[in-house]
Amino acid sequence: MLRSLFSRKKKQQEVTILAPLTGVVVPLSEVPDPVFAQQVVGDGVAIDPIEGVLVSPVDGKVTHLFPTHHAIALTSDSGLEILMHIGIDTVKLKGKGFTPFVAVGDQVKAGDKLIEFQLETIRQAGCATVTPVVITNGDVVAEKQVVASPNVHAGQEPLMNVVVKGGTA
Amino acid sequence: MIQFQVTVTAEGGLHARPAALLVSRASQSRSTVTLAKGDKQVDGRSILSVMTLGAAQGDVLTVQVDGADEEEVAAAIKELFDKECKV
Repeated sequence: MLRSLFSRKKKQQEVTILAPLTGVVVPLSEVPDPVFAQQVVGDGVAIDPIEGVLVSPVDGKVTHLFPTHHAIALTSDSGLEILMHIGIDTVKLKGKGFTPFVAVGDQVKAGDKLIEFQLETIRQAGCATVTPVVITNGDVVAEKQVVASPNVHAGQEPLMNVVVKGGTA
Repeated sequence: MIQFQVTVTAEGGLHARPAALLVSRASQSRSTVTLAKGDKQVDGRSILSVMTLGAAQGDVLTVQVDGADEEEVAAAIKELFDKECKV
């Protein structure tokens, strides 16, 4: 009861961000692109996928889908803006190998399929497949913890646990 | 307030990397930075907003910088569009 009073006072909310991909968890600092590695885009973590299916990590809405379908941004119902960028430098593939299953404005549930992609096409283009998953509005984040496990399964396991600040906190 | 226009030269438009560089510079400043494409106007400090502008290669954007260090910030943003945002 004390705990609930405390959390109500702070109006904070705990949000689980599910793994959007099946693969190996990689620290952002090891991503071969300085704007991600130095957290210019935002704080988060990356996954090097072993399967070419990106699913929604949260319940929310599709805020932006790049015209080339290599990256997508969602706004979670809890107010987090999450950007997922499939591979590095993949903008140069101009959409080749990426198939979107959603459009901007769509409501999605955690686990819903967002984009299918061909890992082989990305590799053949000489691009890294490691996919940053970052929170682009870090100002609403009070705490963030990345799972300790080295591997994750898409839509089934958490990737990050985030405490979102309340509106008045 | 300083207002000027820039042309997006980056192949693929203002995708994650050029947008991140721009937002990073805007966030370091003490001025407000606003980007507009046609009627759509966004806050230059929010990477998601900048990306949702959907600026493609060749698009002309109107940039407004307003605040204490506006001259310095405007110059830096012009340079970004001339150089680094080409990637």
